Amino acid sequence: MDILRVLYDMLYYAGPILFCTLGGLFAYKVNVINIGLEGMMLFGGFIGALLIFYTGNYLLGLSGAVMLGVALGLLFSFFGITKKANFIITGFAINLLAVAIGYYTLALMGRTDINVIGEVRHMSLRLNIPVLRSIPVLGDVFSGHSILTYVAFLSIFIVHFVMYHTKFGVYVRVAGESPEAAEAVGINIHKIKYAAIIVGGFLCALAGVNVAVEQIAAYTPQITAGTGFIAIAAIYCAAGSPMKSSGYAILFGLMQALARNLAVVIGGIAGLLNVIPYLTVIVVLSIIAINRYRKTNIRGYAHD
Amino acid sequence: MKQNKLNTILHHFLNALIPIFFAFLIGAIAILVAGENPLETFYILFQRALFTERGLTRTLHYASPLILTGLAIGISFKAGLFNMGVEGQLLVGGFVVAVLGYTYSDLPSGVLVPMLLIAGILSGIMTAMIPALLKALFNVNELVVSLLMNYAIIHVLQYLTTNVFRDPSRGYVSTHMIGSSAILSRMFGTRITPFFFIALFVFLIMYIVFNHSKLGYEIRAIGKNLEFSEAVGMNVKKKILTIMTYSGALAGLGGAGWMMSDRYAYTLNFSGDPGLGWDGMLIALLGAHSPVGILVAAVFYGALKSGSQAIAIHTSVPQEIIAVIQSLLILFLSIKFLKESKVLERLTCRFLPKQAKEEEV
Repeated sequence: MDILRVLYDMLYYAGPILFCTLGGLFAYKVNVINIGLEGMMLFGGFIGALLIFYTGNYLLGLSGAVMLGVALGLLFSFFGITKKANFIITGFAINLLAVAIGYYTLALMGRTDINVIGEVRHMSLRLNIPVLRSIPVLGDVFSGHSILTYVAFLSIFIVHFVMYHTKFGVYVRVAGESPEAAEAVGINIHKIKYAAIIVGGFLCALAGVNVAVEQIAAYTPQITAGTGFIAIAAIYCAAGSPMKSSGYAILFGLMQALARNLAVVIGGIAGLLNVIPYLTVIVVLSIIAINRYRKTNIRGYAHD
Repeated sequence: MKQNKLNTILHHFLNALIPIFFAFLIGAIAILVAGENPLETFYILFQRALFTERGLTRTLHYASPLILTGLAIGISFKAGLFNMGVEGQLLVGGFVVAVLGYTYSDLPSGVLVPMLLIAGILSGIMTAMIPALLKALFNVNELVVSLLMNYAIIHVLQYLTTNVFRDPSRGYVSTHMIGSSAILSRMFGTRITPFFFIALFVFLIMYIVFNHSKLGYEIRAIGKNLEFSEAVGMNVKKKILTIMTYSGALAGLGGAGWMMSDRYAYTLNFSGDPGLGWDGMLIALLGAHSPVGILVAAVFYGALKSGSQAIAIHTSVPQEIIAVIQSLLILFLSIKFLKESKVLERLTCRFLPKQAKEEEV
């Protein structure tokens, strides 16, 4: 197994998880668990691939996806915040709707996937950045990823900056940590929550385009394969810290890379390796929850 | 007292009806996109599914596993537990029954059928125990764990079906067919099998558990206020395990019954798309987590499934429209359109003498 190949794949798989993680963070900070990350990502990939399929225009696909992502964020906010819905159910509905509309459209088109390989091939979506390329040994790991993968990694720092060094970030954190205080100083909590969720929809749409258009170049309703939920686990693991959550997202990306590269080596039980990423997430989440549980039960009565 | 009950029933009914209206309204747009007449399509859907003998018995057949998965989700949601692993638990139940039903196919039916049903129940319980124990012991988020387990389970079963238990004589990936003594066969020359009556029987048990048992009361208490329930001395951890046991057992039984009454072999689309477990979520929501509501909702959704085949035959609308309507339904069901039963109370107040009204309280 080629270590450099694994590292390259780690960054490759981490991209979409990062988008979803960073997207879900804002909502998490205002105490809204956005279960719909997965569906928002799938919708993004769907509309992106669909527009590129018909027009061959990457930018059109990307902006269509982003607009739909924002619209879904708006929808989720309207239901979850204005209408006070059970937002876990709302999120789930968005996930199921994304799959259902995908299959319905495919059936109408009479296809099994929306294949954009032909359109994407001559778009040169993979970037070769000379500075990264010239890094000794690791040059091949960092270089040659698609545009949005780089954007995903850049977003880590952008989100960290926004969260801790801007007014909006302060508002988001205050609105989540102590809504009464926020309201007392005149922050419109509803608006902040809306914004937090809409940012999530935006980033998830990028995740969808990243996978459906840039990486696989073919949309099917299965492309997301739990990425949104893995992202939620990453957020839980790090209690919503952008840097740490991203660390977990990259770790989960590494597990996917390992599963894929081990499969090439092992062959026979290759199918079974697909469970590695999911099991890792469950194990990591459990370990962290157990630790946190021990700490919070310091008085000891929970141990009797 | 009686008036109050009627009130809640009416309230639930309207709260289910409004989302159904919206879901079908938007579903109609999707049908227009396909170039068909929505009203005609919906007419075909329900006319075939409910008002023909063939359609109606098929509807009840489809409703059978849905009653069970609906109850499985309903009991956990009612307690505020998000068991999102019902789909995986059902798959494991179905798979285990497929393997055992083939291996022990020479056992007589009277032994094999109960054995398989119990095996399905136990597999469902064991699968549900993983998120349940993590939640009860260490407060690990059960929603994320049970959800991600579905993906892991699908991959494991796919591997086992493709490599270990595959029937090589079939052109597609599938286990061997279960023996004829393991099959719950059709009755009265219709699509109904004993599985439907098993599901009805389980529904009765669950009705008693929900409404007339201590556990039912405790489930409602935990769902309403977990800390309070713990403070007054309820062993919440134990209750979480109990609730998840019920939930897993119902899901496992659903998988076992579906295998023995409909599929007869484990294939990669055993549970359909979206799976029976996900359908269960819609049904639990539509039925407002109450057993009778879940029964009605399961038959309603069985009708959608049964009618979807008629749609595919008689119109050019893809039968995937049903999944679209289903997810729209869940979306609209996440909102409570009528808050409490105040609207109805006000309405019914007019027809009630004032004193009677006070007595209720």
